[in-house]
This record gives sequence, structure tokens and C-alpha cells, in this order.
Amino acid sequence: MAGPGTSGGSGSGSSQGNNPQFLKQIDLDQIWGDLKQGIEQVYNSQGMSKARYMQLYTHVYNYCTSVHQQSTKNGGGPKGKKGAAGGGGGGAQFVGLELYKRVREYLRTYLITLMQDGVDLMDEEVLRFYTKQWEDYQFSSKVLNGVCAYLNRHWVKRECDEGHKGIYEIYQLALVTWRDHLFQPLNGQVTNAVLKLIERERNGETINTRLVSGVMNCYVELGLNEDDPCGKGQILSVYRDSFENTFLEDTERFYTRESTEFLNNNPVTEYMKKFQKIPNGLKELRSLLEQHITTQGLTAIYHCGESAVNDPKLYVQTILDVHRKYNSLVLTAFKSDTGFVAALDKACGRFINNNNVTKHPNQSSKSPELLAKYCDLLLKKSSKNPEEAELEDTLNQVMIVFKYIEDKDVFQKFYSKMLAKRLVQHMSASDDTEAAMISKLKQACGFEYTSKLQRMFQDIGVSKDLNDKFRRHLTSSNEPLDLDFSIQVLSSGSWPFQQSQPFTLPHELERSVSRFTTFYSSQHSGRRLNWLYHLSKGEIVTNCFKNRYTLQASTFQMAVLLQFNSTDTLLISQLQELTGISQDILIQVVQILLKCKLLISEDEDKVCSDSRVNLFLGYKNKKLRVNINVPMKTEVKIEQELTHKHIEEDRKLLIQAAIVRIMKMRKICKHQQLLMEVLNQLTPRFKPRVPTIKRCIDILIEKEYLERIDGQKDTYSYLA
Amino acid sequence: MSNDIDSTENDGENGIDSQKPEKMFTLKKWNAVAMWSWDVECDTCAICRVQVMDACLRCQGENKQDDCVVIWGECNHSFHNCCMSLWVKQNNRCPLCQQEWSVQRIGI
Repeated sequence: MAGPGTSGGSGSGSSQGNNPQFLKQIDLDQIWGDLKQGIEQVYNSQGMSKARYMQLYTHVYNYCTSVHQQSTKNGGGPKGKKGAAGGGGGGAQFVGLELYKRVREYLRTYLITLMQDGVDLMDEEVLRFYTKQWEDYQFSSKVLNGVCAYLNRHWVKRECDEGHKGIYEIYQLALVTWRDHLFQPLNGQVTNAVLKLIERERNGETINTRLVSGVMNCYVELGLNEDDPCGKGQILSVYRDSFENTFLEDTERFYTRESTEFLNNNPVTEYMKKFQKIPNGLKELRSLLEQHITTQGLTAIYHCGESAVNDPKLYVQTILDVHRKYNSLVLTAFKSDTGFVAALDKACGRFINNNNVTKHPNQSSKSPELLAKYCDLLLKKSSKNPEEAELEDTLNQVMIVFKYIEDKDVFQKFYSKMLAKRLVQHMSASDDTEAAMISKLKQACGFEYTSKLQRMFQDIGVSKDLNDKFRRHLTSSNEPLDLDFSIQVLSSGSWPFQQSQPFTLPHELERSVSRFTTFYSSQHSGRRLNWLYHLSKGEIVTNCFKNRYTLQASTFQMAVLLQFNSTDTLLISQLQELTGISQDILIQVVQILLKCKLLISEDEDKVCSDSRVNLFLGYKNKKLRVNINVPMKTEVKIEQELTHKHIEEDRKLLIQAAIVRIMKMRKICKHQQLLMEVLNQLTPRFKPRVPTIKRCIDILIEKEYLERIDGQKDTYSYLA
Repeated sequence: MSNDIDSTENDGENGIDSQKPEKMFTLKKWNAVAMWSWDVECDTCAICRVQVMDACLRCQGENKQDDCVVIWGECNHSFHNCCMSLWVKQNNRCPLCQQEWSVQRIGI
């Protein structure tokens, strides 16, 4: 039962009085006439008083709160206020569908009519029309939304809560209607006009950018989230589908043409300035440059083919050519911009450490090895030694490549091996250059990296003085040695040499050894000497051939030849006994003497302990000074294997030292964090492999430097 | 390998020295290489745990490698001289055998 006397009173009276004191039943038709008039007023942008606005709001409110047929039978009286005050108490029927439909229909009709005005417009005209209408419509719809706030809050909300699709808050409804009835038919023209306008601006004309931004605002606003009745969270779908895609295609076309033209007529620096205007543009360009340099480097090395593996000069020069080219590009074109320098560095690091040469098994450290070998070529005495100034320049370039080398420890190993050889064999082209190179390495890697190299260098200087002193000592003693003796005394621990193999010193050399040993003890105290016969060498004069030859020979070769002073024929087993040289080495020594035709044997190629070797008295050579001291094959091979093995062993020690340093500081540390810190500490020298680090952790646990914490699998603690 | 043998050019004709028909081969020249190390029983200095052939950490830090020599006690135990000189200030006994420390010799 509706309240008494309400039905009549709601006519024009209520529209003025807006005071629904009592429950009433209001038909839509009772309010729609005035409401529609009001809405028209809004959309015609006529301006509106607060009172009128409230009146319209009240119409909506009254309608939404009116009780319809099925409504509760609340008793009259003041209780009837419940709808107004409580804002839709529980259980009440929400009224609104009919009103909603009428509003929707109004907007539809309004827009269809409006569209007729724009359908024939083109270019700027259509934009002016579209943006003007859009701005007005958007504003008006916000007002309408306010008028219908009660409908939104209750009926619309309820509909949406119940999952009814296609019901929106009034502002959203207005947008959807615009989209379907104005945007859809006009968007082709509008978008086209915008693109044309942009093109005109690109060509230097001044345009009314508000037209563009107005359309964009509209497109963005229309990207409704259909799942949300209030359309929150714009999803840009309209903007993207109707505009952005075409726009980007257009843009790409434009700038491809533009940049080609621009680069044809301008330096790259100018081009770069353009890039700076694009957000992330430089970043993009940097990564493109990085990729390009990497590819160029890899390709250049690939084209060297297999020969690069055995040709240090070719390999290093190929790398340097690529670097030089792009370094000068970065220097001039990019004005040494730090970002581009970093891109160059990254690319070089990548292709130098990982390329066609290093990809073969067991050759991952080929780059540092080849670089060290190149240094050896440059620093060794040779007919091709470059001028000092040029050499200095080349060594500086070597340092450029060195900077990028990951496994600097491998370089150090090979470099120190070859330096040791150059020094001991007096093969260095120049002491000054050697010293200069060591100081470059020291500058790059610190004191520790070169301390042994420096010590070696120093030992050679000390040995020179020592020889002078010994010679003076011999002269003053009036008991000269019967041969020209000189010696290099090296400090153990600094030189990468193996201990001497077993050897019985020939009595011809005994006096030299004992005289010098006595002399050395007089110069020093607390030292002992360990003679490295395999590195010692000398000259032996022949008296048994047609000519008197001087043979430059290793000490082992000398020892073997001297045995033939007492006989011209010996078994290998006898030679072994006499010289004390181990059989496999002895056989190699003999084989070289056989090849030189100083000795002959029936077993030539398959010499064994039973083989008999004879002195070949018919020995002949065009030259009188003959160098027979060539390296033995196994010597070279063993040396290389050892070098790699030593690198691995040294790395394990370095890793263990790093772990102990870290744990000593942290006391307790998680496995992952420990790994990270070890990697950080050692990367400047080499890249430790994770399995190796794990093995080192195990070793340290075994040695009781660390222990695992009970119950926490991945945590270690330091045992002081 | 014999192809690689490099020889110094000379005029090829130079008769046998007639004075000495003695031995087939005589030594003319010897360039020896030797390695020196401290004459110690243990390679590591028990005080600083660094090899005695390397300078102790203090000297390494101060870049005085060359001055870092070894010292032997009458007990024949040996240490870095600088490590020992700090040690005896606190305790005049050999850290390894606890005998009264008296210097046998200092390395040069």
C-alpha cells in the first residue's frame, strides 16, 4: 500500500516542491518531461542554476526511490523517509531500468543528429568539429552523470554487481554511445586528418596542435574497460587500434626517408643530436652499435680461418683492426660519449674472449695465450724487430687488447714463461722495452700481477754483476777455468722452470761448478744452489772431423758427445749409465744428434736401450758454427700441458684464498652470497667456474677452515 | 727438425788446428743456469705462513722484498728475519721448538 495521496501530488507540484515527505509511487512519465528538458539544456550548453540542477537530481532521486507495485508495504508516516535517508535500505527494489533506457535513447538520438553535421567535413574542418563537439559532449556528460548520481549509485551498481553486461554508469554510457554513434562513423576521416596535420608539421608548417591533442584525448578516453562499469583503468584499445598503428607506420616511413637523407648531407654528430631528442633513442642506438661491433669482430676473426690459431700476429692485428675502426667512430662521431664507449668495450670484450678461435675444446684461453705469444714475437731479438718508437706504439696496442682479456691469469702464465726464456737465453731485443712492457702490465693489473716478472728481470741484472765479480775473482786467483764460464742465478719461486732432470755432471764441467759454488758461498750466506742443467748450454769444439767446428749445444748434448772422447761406439744403455740422463730424454737427445749426422745408428728412427750409436767421423757442414740445440718435441708438448695444469692449480689456490678472505670477514655466509662475492673478487683476474668454487669450498671444509652449519644446508661458518 | 738448425755463415774452409791432436771434443764455453734458494728445512716461515723465498707480508706491503732475508737459530729452525725480530721482543724462544733463541746465521 502506497502512502496516502501521493500519486496526485507528484505532478508539476513535486517538480517544484522536491520534497517527497511520503512514500509515493512515481511513474517515469511524470518526471521525464521536465528531466528531458533539463538534459537538453545541459547538452545545449545553456548554463544552469544550482536550483535547477538540484531539481533534476531530485527527479531522478524521486523516480529511483518511488515504490512500485511489488514494493514493501511500509506504513506511512515519517518512516517513509527511509529511501531518502538510508540510500536504499536492504531488500528494497531498485528502480531505474526505464530511466536508464530513456537516457540512453536520448544520447543516441542526440549523437546521430550531431553526426550528420560532421559527416561531410574533411581535414581541419572535421577536426575542429570533432574536437569541439567532443569537449562539449564530455563536459555535458559529466554534468548528466552528476544528475544521475543516484541512479549510478544504486540501480547501476546493483545491476553490475549482479553481473549484467552492457549497463554502465551514465558518464560511461555517454562515452560508449559516442563511440558507437559518432566515433565509429567519423573515425576514418578524423584519423586521416590528424595524420595529415602531423605530416604538415613534420614538413615545417605551424599547425594547431590542440586539434591533434583534442582527438588524442578523446581516443584515449574512449578506450574503456568494458568490465568495469565506471570504466576505470583505460586500456587504450581505441587509441591503439584506430590511431597508433597507422601513425607508427607512417612515422617509420617518414623517418627512414628523413634519416637517410639527413645522413647523406650531414655528419653523424648532427644525426646523434636528433637521437637525443627521442626517449631511449640513444640507448637503442648504443645496443645496435654494440651488436654491430661484436658481429664485425667475430666475422673478421672467422675469416682468418684456422691460421689465426697459429699466427699470433694475424690474430691480434685482426682484433686491433676492428677495434681501431670502431674506436675512431666512437671517438669522432660519438664524441667519446661514455655510453658509446661502454658499448664498444662490451662488444670488444665479447668477441675477443669468445670467437671462432676460442670455441674449440681446450682453447677457451687461446686469446690470452696468443696475445702473450705476440708480445714474445715483438720483444724477442729478430731481424724483423721494429724501430723503438714503433715498437712502443705496438705494445700500447697490445695493452688495448689486454684490457679486454678475461683470463688475465692465463696471459700472465704464458707471458712469464716466455719472458723467462727470453731472459735466460739472452734473447731479449732490449732491456728497456722489456721493462717498459712490465710497467704497462703493472699499471693495468697492479703490483702483485707483475711482481714475479719484475723479480725475474732483476735477477738477470744481479747475475750480470755476479758474473763480473766471478771473472775478476778467477783472474786474481791465477787459476783460470779451462772454459769460458758464465752463469745466471735465479731466485727460486719466481721463475716458471721445472727442476732439473737427473744428470751426472761430466768431469769437464765439475771444476766450473765447484769453483763457482765456493765463490757464491763467499758472496752469500744461507743459500743453496740448484743447477738447472736442462737450461744450461754451451759450445763444444770438434777435433775429429775434417773441419774444426764449433757446436752450440745443450748441456745434455755436450755430455753425450763428450762420452765419445774415449770411444767411438756406445750402446744407449751405456750412455745412460755414463750421463745419468733418463732414458726417454736421452733417446730424444740422441735422435737430434743422429739427425745432425754427428752420430749414426742402424736403428735411426727406433732407438732403444740396446741400440748402438757411433760417432760419424765424416760429419760435414758448410758452416763452422752450428747450432744443434733445438728443442725436443716432448719438451714443448709437456711444457704446454704443464702450463695449463699450473693455471688450473693456481686458480684453485686463488679461489680458496678468496673464500677464506670472505669468510674471515663474514664469519657466517650463505652459499649463494659466498659464490657471488668470490666471483666479484676474482673476475678482474679470471672468471672462476662455479663447480670449481664448489670444489674449493669442499677442500676448505676438509681442511677445517669452514664448516656447514647444522640444519642449514646452504650456510657455512668460518672456523678461526 | 734438422732443417731448423740455424748456423752462422762462415767461410767454410778452416783446417784442423794442428797443434792438439788430443780429444775429439773439447768444451769451449758453458752458460750455466742455477736457481738459488734459502738453505732451509721448511719452505714456510712458521710465524707469517709465507714461503721464505717470498718476502714476508709486511715487506711485501712495504715493497721491500729485497731486504727480507732469512734467519737461522742454533736449533736450525729458520724464519723471516723481520718476523723473528718481532717475535723475540715478546718471547725469546724458537716458536717451533721452544729452545732459547740464539742466532746461528742471517741470510745474505
